[in-house]
Amino acid sequence: MKLFISLNIQRFAHVKAQGSTQNGRDSVGRRLGAKAADGQKINAGSIIYRQRGTKIYPGKNVGMGKDHTLFALITGVVKYERAGKDKKKVSVYEA
Amino acid sequence: MIKILKEMDKITIKGHANYRESNDIVCASISSIMYTTVNAILNFNDKAINFTDNNSECIITINTHDEITDKLIDNMLLMFEEVSKDYPSNVEIK
Repeated sequence: MKLFISLNIQRFAHVKAQGSTQNGRDSVGRRLGAKAADGQKINAGSIIYRQRGTKIYPGKNVGMGKDHTLFALITGVVKYERAGKDKKKVSVYEA
Repeated sequence: MIKILKEMDKITIKGHANYRESNDIVCASISSIMYTTVNAILNFNDKAINFTDNNSECIITINTHDEITDKLIDNMLLMFEEVSKDYPSNVEIK
């Protein structure tokens, strides 16, 4: 059987119905990124950086949670530094 | 309103069903009956009819009268009448 004329069931419709879509959903932004800037004073336990995976590694006096969140282990000043050729780390030094 | 005009060997179908804003079932039924009939006839004999659609109206022109073409065209008109009986304000046959 050959299809000579394709079937358009909306041919005589005034307003063409929009096909439904399975898309159109998105999750709320996770507010990742830096929570403390370079040179900023910070208290022990405060969060420095929220991230997925280790974009930035923990340096001196900085701990990492199981979701890779970086936080200060002591009260001091935040310092973003290089870690090797192409990595970054963040440390906290006593003020 | 969809207007279906039958003249000798020419059937013209035009207009909008305006049955419902979207998911217009009357439009869908008239369209389906028309396309099914046209495609069936052309599969039997692609010279039996000409089908043109210039967006404002569809025109079926009957070139040859053979048993199959006549029966399928009559069946199409019969189905149009059935739809028109149920939705007289949306389909008119002359």
